[in-house]
Amino acid sequence: MNTKTSKSRALVYGVLTILAVGMVIPFVWMLLASFKTSNEVFSIPMKLMPEIWHGENYQEIWKKIPLLTFFVNTTKLTLITTVIQVLTSCFAAYGFAKVKFKGRDILFVIYVTTIAVPWQVYMVPQFALMSKMQLTNSHLGLILMQAFSAFGVFLMRQFMMGIPGELLEAARIDGLNEYGIFARIALPLVKPGIATLIIFTFVNIWNDFMGPMIYINSTELKTIQLGIRMFISQYGADYALIMAASVCSLIPVLIIFMLCQRWFIEGIAAGGVKG
Amino acid sequence: MTSRQKRELKTNLVGYSFIIPNFIGYFIFIFVPVCFSFILSVMKWDGSDAPMQFVGLQNFMKLAGDSTFIISLKNTVWYAVFTVPLTLAASLLTAVMLNSKIKGIVVYRTAFFFPYVASLVAVGAVWNMLFQPEFGPINEILKALGVANPPKWCASTDWAMWVIIIVSVWKYMGYYMVVYLAALQGISHDLYEAAEIDGATGLKKLRYITIPMLTPTTFFVVIMLTIQCFKVFDLIYVMTGGGPGRATNVLVNHIYNAAFVDFKFGYASASALVLFAIVLVITLIQLWGEKKFTDFV
Amino acid sequence: MRFRKITALLMAAAMTVSLAACGSGSSNAPAETAAGETKTQEAADTGAKEEKEQENTEASGEKVKMTVSVWDNASSPQFQAMADAFMEKHPEVEVELIDTQADEYDNKLTVMLAGGDSDPDVIMVKNAETQVTMKDKNQLLDLTDYIARDGVDLSLYNGAAEQLQMDGKQYTLPFRQDWYMLFYNKDLFDAAGVGYPSDDMTWDEYEALAKQMTSGEGSEKVYGTHNHTWMAMVSNWAVQDGENTLMNEDYSFLKPYYEQALRMQDEGVVQSYANLKTGSIHYISVFEQQQCAMVPMGSWFIATLIQDKKDGKFDFNWGVTKIPHPEGVQAGATVGAVTPIAINAKTDVPDQAWEFVKFVTSEEGAGILADNSVFPAITTETIVEKLSSIGDFPEDGKTALEITSFAFDRPLDAKMAAVRKVIEEEHDLIMIGEEDIDTGIANMNERAAEARAE
Repeated sequence: MNTKTSKSRALVYGVLTILAVGMVIPFVWMLLASFKTSNEVFSIPMKLMPEIWHGENYQEIWKKIPLLTFFVNTTKLTLITTVIQVLTSCFAAYGFAKVKFKGRDILFVIYVTTIAVPWQVYMVPQFALMSKMQLTNSHLGLILMQAFSAFGVFLMRQFMMGIPGELLEAARIDGLNEYGIFARIALPLVKPGIATLIIFTFVNIWNDFMGPMIYINSTELKTIQLGIRMFISQYGADYALIMAASVCSLIPVLIIFMLCQRWFIEGIAAGGVKG
Repeated sequence: MTSRQKRELKTNLVGYSFIIPNFIGYFIFIFVPVCFSFILSVMKWDGSDAPMQFVGLQNFMKLAGDSTFIISLKNTVWYAVFTVPLTLAASLLTAVMLNSKIKGIVVYRTAFFFPYVASLVAVGAVWNMLFQPEFGPINEILKALGVANPPKWCASTDWAMWVIIIVSVWKYMGYYMVVYLAALQGISHDLYEAAEIDGATGLKKLRYITIPMLTPTTFFVVIMLTIQCFKVFDLIYVMTGGGPGRATNVLVNHIYNAAFVDFKFGYASASALVLFAIVLVITLIQLWGEKKFTDFV
Repeated sequence: MRFRKITALLMAAAMTVSLAACGSGSSNAPAETAAGETKTQEAADTGAKEEKEQENTEASGEKVKMTVSVWDNASSPQFQAMADAFMEKHPEVEVELIDTQADEYDNKLTVMLAGGDSDPDVIMVKNAETQVTMKDKNQLLDLTDYIARDGVDLSLYNGAAEQLQMDGKQYTLPFRQDWYMLFYNKDLFDAAGVGYPSDDMTWDEYEALAKQMTSGEGSEKVYGTHNHTWMAMVSNWAVQDGENTLMNEDYSFLKPYYEQALRMQDEGVVQSYANLKTGSIHYISVFEQQQCAMVPMGSWFIATLIQDKKDGKFDFNWGVTKIPHPEGVQAGATVGAVTPIAINAKTDVPDQAWEFVKFVTSEEGAGILADNSVFPAITTETIVEKLSSIGDFPEDGKTALEITSFAFDRPLDAKMAAVRKVIEEEHDLIMIGEEDIDTGIANMNERAAEARAE
């Protein structure tokens, strides 16, 4: 029994390690490339390690694009959008999952199916609307158009569905109203769901490029991805700098992920709710 | 009003009050534009001030005879048919393995999740490099393994879509793995302990406890993956631009080009409606399946 | 928390109402507004619009804000130089550049114009053929009356202005003009003991020279020349004689040029298309890394080379000469494109926008472009002199600036963009060898006909 377990554990470690290395290889390449000269990046045949480590690539990109402004803008947009998205989604998701009201199912199907409509399709009508509302070229406009995605509602609903009905029924009998049940019972139970939604929203807004590209005109309002794309467009041959800029844009998202990880590890304190 | 009606009214109001904060924003900024674009599907509009013309189902008729639309529809289905199960399997397996109390979980989890957070532009460039047909490392390895004529990957109409599929799985499995991990946290340890007492081993536990308990999550993952696959655009835009030729041209490429290259907004909307209908049907089937298979509703 | 939520709700509700109001207000506005009327029209509009209008009246002492859409601003200093020079002459106007990256520029413009935005006031038309579709959609202001009123001399543009006319009206004025040249690496030619490319070569002579200049193996290999992955690197030479255009019904005139491109690729005289495309390898790095001896490229490459050499990115001597030509065509026949400039029909500052357009297309504006090594549409003696005397411009390169004829790389045609998409897909397949030339051209003929028929 014991040897069998340790054997299977070794197998799990082995498989995981091979997979993990495979996943990370492109990033290793990216990181190494960011320290090369641009000519070295695409040299034939390929070289893995830079001949000389060019740390100055990172200084260079700070000089070429107003990265700090872009960082501040992106952080602001991402934080506000994520907060609105998470709050309203949890609220709506509880309604969809645990309150039986008239028209619920049809409304939910509408929500889910609009997820399936690619943004490129309604981009022009949406822009016309925002333009009439004087919301183009402003952060408010971008936040409003991205904070109410149907995806968040769908995701949170799935997690809310996992909460056993008896638990809520018990609370109702104890005299809690629906809002109380939502805040005191449902919300703590879907913490991992909230974490996945935060990550999803954060990553999407942080990496979004088309939205700001269409809506933002002024340089002082632009975002990091827009900055990187513009950088690529103009310094198309400076591969090393592009890689350095990409590494820079990756770090904040990575940090957020590391922070949110703790939520999963803690899990749900009352682990046994589903039993 | 009877007390029952009153109670019903109250529940309805409570339900609406939960939905409303999200719904207002959703209605104005998403639902209205989406509806407008659907109306466009029976119109002819070039994006100008000139009034739109009602053309009935003409846009849809045209779709059937448009070779690019047919090709892009085929490509999209092909892409989805492989990407959905592969991503699902990869994310479920890694999540289960990571959930078995192993050391260094943070490192593994980060490694698997990393591709998801990376910006597509950089990642696309890197993968194109790795798949370089003549001197890229992947083909170097294949040659070393004795493959005489390794595929030309993105420079070949037969292989380009496979590159897209591989990179998709690589990029998006991390997110669904996290979703699964979150769901796995919710499965009670008591269940496993009880199973162990009954003598169940690793695989049996997976088969009889883990997978059934994950059903709602799996439905979610499948629906999201399907939708995502039918909506795929950015990755292809960055990696192959729909090429070579039309080999990786997918539905959204087609919609995008119809709107922004040909200025046929009505026609683009009609294509979008077809996409929408496909996804709607798949989603409804899955939602129906979910009702059938889960006890939570 | 709850209070905030309520405020948010109220705000959203208010927005819906104002949306309805705005919507009904502006949908009545006629598509084509005469210059003078625009202000009264707009003033009638409700709410926030009025504020904006206030900003625009000079009496209030505030500056009039005007937006100009440009691409790749940071690497194209001429745009800012132009705006600065204009603001100096017109201190009452504040010019803001709307900067988008080149490959998304047309898409962003499409959304803004279709959305009915008053920004950008002034439009740089990146691909000249798109001015046709913009005009068809009533998105451009007709400049004919302005031109007549201010007596703008169109003959300065050597015919380019007339070529941009649509339905006998002038919606745009030519701003830049670029054409193809042959760039080469003098050091590589010196080392090989081969004479520099002449300014009167046929494409066959050029191919032979490229073969002669190819040397080395593996990572040391130097290719004789370099063809970037654009279709223009085949089609441009096919339209150089001015007899055919990419809107032809039959594309078989491309065949000899495809044969040559594939032959050079097979013989290893140029890097393979598949490699360049999948590696997204930029022609700048190939040339600056000395991996090729020659490269046919547009005149914009001059500014890049001058700048990069100054920045120490490479340190060999480069030269430039006339682009090779087909048999039986005069040397100096070249292919290129004009960049027109236009005004948004919905602009709220038409008069200022016109002043800007007039300024940048004037001889004075041309001088500013030339100072930035950009080729203006006006090419008088002084401008050519200015261009060739910039910093590191090679002395013997002046011949590249003298052209005898100029063919548009793509004709001004409303269907060009749609046709281009289709034929570029076939180009892709021909160049990676998935389709032979005849099949590819047959497909081009068939699919382009479909695209045109729409």
